[in-house]
Amino acid sequence: MTKPKLVFDPFSKEFFDNPFEIYRRMREEAPVYYNEEEDFYALTRHEDVAAAFRDHETYSSARGCDLAMVRTGEVPQRSIIFMDPPDHRHMRSLLNKAFTPRAIQSQRETVIELVDRYLGAADPDHFDVVQDFSGPFPVEVITRMAGVPQESRQQVRHWIDTSLHREPGQTEMGEAGMKATIDSAMFYYNLIQERRADPQDDMISRLIAAEIPREDGRLGKLDDIEITGFVVLLGGAGAETVTKLVGNAAVIFASYPDQWQKLLDDRSKIPAAVEELLRYEGPVQYNVRYTLKEARLRHGTIPPGKPVFLIGAAANRDPEAFTDADTFDIDRDRSQAQNLGLGYGIHSCLGAALARMESAIALEKLLDFMPRYEVDSGGLQRVHMQNVAGYSNVPVRVLR
Amino acid sequence: MKKVEVDFGLCESNGVCMGIIPEVFHLDDNDELHILQPEVTPHNEHEIREAVRQCPRQAISIVED
Repeated sequence: MTKPKLVFDPFSKEFFDNPFEIYRRMREEAPVYYNEEEDFYALTRHEDVAAAFRDHETYSSARGCDLAMVRTGEVPQRSIIFMDPPDHRHMRSLLNKAFTPRAIQSQRETVIELVDRYLGAADPDHFDVVQDFSGPFPVEVITRMAGVPQESRQQVRHWIDTSLHREPGQTEMGEAGMKATIDSAMFYYNLIQERRADPQDDMISRLIAAEIPREDGRLGKLDDIEITGFVVLLGGAGAETVTKLVGNAAVIFASYPDQWQKLLDDRSKIPAAVEELLRYEGPVQYNVRYTLKEARLRHGTIPPGKPVFLIGAAANRDPEAFTDADTFDIDRDRSQAQNLGLGYGIHSCLGAALARMESAIALEKLLDFMPRYEVDSGGLQRVHMQNVAGYSNVPVRVLR
Repeated sequence: MKKVEVDFGLCESNGVCMGIIPEVFHLDDNDELHILQPEVTPHNEHEIREAVRQCPRQAISIVED
C-alpha cells in the first residue's frame, strides 16, 4: 500500500481538523518540506525550527508573517512583528517594560476579578468554556491595558475573530475580514485622536508620548498608523491566544483525567500545566518568514526569497526533542528542549508573562468551578484561522 | 576560565534565568538583572547552560575569559 502524497495545506479542512498527523509525516518524511504548487517551504523538526527562530538574518519578518502577506512582496504596515533589527529592537524596547513578569503583576487583581465575574455568571449545566469564559475575559484585560473604553472591549474581539477567520481553501482575508480590519483601524485611529487631546494612564497614551530612533538617527514620535498597527496587534495577540489555550485545556484534560486530578491534588503544578499545554497544543501553530539568503539545514537547503513556515507546534511534538512527545504530561522534564509555544528569539511572545498569568488563574478557577466534568464532544467546534488553532465551542457538563 | 555574559540590550527581565539558578542571576526591584556570580564552575555549569538555552531572548552567553 502506498501512502497518500504528503500535502501540507495550512488552509485545508484536513489541517484544521488534525494538524498533528500531518506534522508527524512532515518531520519524518520531509523535514525541509516544499510545496510545489504554492511555492513555499516548511520546517517542523525542533532543531530546525528553533535554529530558524534564532536566525533573523536568514529568516526575515519584514515581509510579514503569513503566506499571503509574504507573497505580495509589498512592504507591510509598520508593526513590530513585521520588523527586523534594528527597527524591531527600537520598537520592542519601547514596549517590553510594560510586559515584564513584575510589571504584569499589577494586572493580577483585574484578571482575578474578570475570571470570577464570568465564572460567577456561568451555568454549570450549560457551560461553554470558550463562549462563556475563555473568549470574553482575556480581551478585557489587554484592551483595558491598551486604553480601550469598557463598552468597546468585546467588539474588539469580534473584529479579531472575523479578520483571522478563513474558510477551507481560503488563503487571503475575505470581504468580512477586510471590513473588520478597516472598522477596527478606524476605531483605534479615533481613539488615538482622543488620547492625543487628553492623555490617560494607558498604553496608547504612552505610545503617543514615546520617541524612537529613526533612520536618520534622530528621535521621532510614532505616527497614528504605527500606533494603530501596534494596538491592533496587541488586541489580537493578547486575546485570541489565551482564549485558545484555555479552551484547548478543557478538551485535553478531559482526555487526560489523571492529569486534571494531579492539579486538583496539588495546585502548585498549575504553572507546569500551563507550560505543558503550550507545548502539547499551544494556540500558535506557525509563523511565516522570508529567506533573505540561502538557508542551509541538515536535510536540505532553502533558496533565498522563499516563504518558510516555521511550525513551532510541530517542533513541540518532535520525539527527538521530547520523550513521549505525543503524551500530555504536566510533570514532564521541561529541561529536555526549549518549548516553542511562545516562540523563540527576537520575536518571542512579548506578552508571555501576561499569558502565563491569565492561563494559570483561569485554570485555578476552573478547578474550583468544574472539579469533575465531561466534554460534550458532539458540540466541539474548531476555529478555522490563519496561524492559530483551537476551538470556538467547548461545551462541558459539570459533574456533581 | 569561563564567565557568564548578559547582553543587556536583549535582556527583557523575564527572569527565567533567576528561576533556574538564583545564586547567579538576580532581578532587583526595578526589574534590572544582576549577575551575582559570573564564574562558571563545574558545580553551576549545568544550570547556567540551562539558563542560556531557556532565555527567551538569548541574552545570556558563556565566554572564555
